[in-house]
Amino acid sequence: MSERKRLLIVDDDPDFVEGIRAILEGADYETDVAYNPKDGFQALKRRAYDLLLLDIMMGRGAEGIMMARKIRKDPELKELPVLIITGIREQIAFLFPGKGVHPGYVPVDEFVEKPVEPEHLLERVRSLLDAAATRKGKASR
Amino acid sequence: MENGQKILIIDDEEVVLDSCTEILQGSDYEITTATDGGRGLKLVQEFRPDLVFVDLKMPGISGFEVLEKIREHDSTVVTIVITGYATVSSAVEAMKKGAYDFLPKPFTPDEFRLITRRGLEKRTLVLETMALRRERELLRENFAAIVSHELKGPLSAVQQNMFVLEQELAGTASEDQKRRLDRMKTRIKDLLQLVDRWLRGMSVDIEAMKENYQPLAVSSAIEKAVESVLPQAVRKDIEIVTSVEESAGQVMGDEGALTEALVNVLGNAVKYSPTESKVSIAWERKDNQVVISVSDTGVGISEEDLPFIFNGLYRAKSAEGAESGLGVGLAISRRIIEAHDGSISVQSKLGEGSTFVITLPAIEG
Ligand SMILES: Nc1ncnc2c1ncn2[C@@H]1O[C@H](COP(=O)(O)OP(=O)(O)OP(=O)(O)O)[C@@H](O)[C@H]1O
Ligand SMILES: [Mg+2]
Repeated sequence: MSERKRLLIVDDDPDFVEGIRAILEGADYETDVAYNPKDGFQALKRRAYDLLLLDIMMGRGAEGIMMARKIRKDPELKELPVLIITGIREQIAFLFPGKGVHPGYVPVDEFVEKPVEPEHLLERVRSLLDAAATRKGKASR
Repeated sequence: MENGQKILIIDDEEVVLDSCTEILQGSDYEITTATDGGRGLKLVQEFRPDLVFVDLKMPGISGFEVLEKIREHDSTVVTIVITGYATVSSAVEAMKKGAYDFLPKPFTPDEFRLITRRGLEKRTLVLETMALRRERELLRENFAAIVSHELKGPLSAVQQNMFVLEQELAGTASEDQKRRLDRMKTRIKDLLQLVDRWLRGMSVDIEAMKENYQPLAVSSAIEKAVESVLPQAVRKDIEIVTSVEESAGQVMGDEGALTEALVNVLGNAVKYSPTESKVSIAWERKDNQVVISVSDTGVGISEEDLPFIFNGLYRAKSAEGAESGLGVGLAISRRIIEAHDGSISVQSKLGEGSTFVITLPAIEG
């Protein structure tokens, strides 16, 4: 299983995307980009991805959260690992007053904060891909 | 003027009740009466009046007590006292207890109509002021959040590209160039941190936080705060002396938030103190308050700067030589403490040191 992994980045800030894309491609991942959830969702339907990197604050509010929820409800996509990249970690509280934001709050696998150090990003990506591979291995056995 | 405002009249003389009701007949107001304080207070809760007339001299619960109870129940209800003995002293006494005005008996229908209208206008004003205040608060919360997000977006994008650039140039950049890159990265990181702290401190929904308040021991928040600033203190060889009165009680609040408020104050004491000095934190119970004081023998704050240090994005002149800071810590602390119905104040002398005093309402237990 040494073929290159394919990742989709959904984020509405092209300059930021440029930054993480360079890091990921430098580590030999193939990347596609969508600049809004709608295009992102279409891309996911068009072809298979190994991982989704998803921004939370897009458009008018937390559209990334809607997208994560939609993915988790979709029978074809619900196994897709999702790495949320967010600039608003706990500050998201203003959207959901009184609730702490923890990974369990949004149905995703992991959070990293913007901006993200290259090593840290690659480490998260690797561990999510490994976990998904293990899951698949178990399921097919 | 609002329609259908509600008036409650409490007087033991039925003639007064009847004539008042009659005078206001045909107006838009809803009127209810009570012949003693006990029934009157019950109606304050059930009928929810905008304006209450209270006779000062009644058998049973006194007018003064009624006034006090109304104020406890809802301080926005406007009260006017009716007094048969229109001595200045009883009227003044009543106004001290929160009455808006007084009406001496006997009065003419015109006098009564006029004072009623004024009382209701006052009520409208009070409610409008409250609504405005709430609106301002909301605006601030959302404003802080939105602005910060707008600031963080571009900064994150710059920093992210900086990370890449650094990697890409790793092999070829000279030492000088590397240092320049580092400097830029550090400054952006500081800026991001500022926005972060500001956003967290200023956009927290206070009302939502209040819903989750729990009884907590102040000593536990203090312990955590001390623990958190200990590394900085150790680095400067500063001793943090705590003197805690064990049985001094509890407060209602959010432990995380209160700890953060204390960390800011305690962290300042360490930051603005010379090496090898002492910082002390003490707390005690004073009546129904818990009083926490944090003292240092550091640079102090001049009189000109003192009024501004809690406002946010402000640093005193005396901080210039000291370590860097963003000037937001105290503003955040103040906001948290005020959300706990407490207060924070400071006494300081330039070059000698400062004492910050935090007061919180205590609960039994
Ligand atoms: N214990 C103290 N001794 C002397 N000056 C103080 C002390 N505490 C606060 N100040 C003054 O009040 C100013 C505001 O304090 P505040 O904690 O809000 O900001 P800061 O310490 O500069 O930065 P930061 O936001 O990183 O805490 C400080 O810049 C300093 O001038
Ligand atoms: Mg400070």
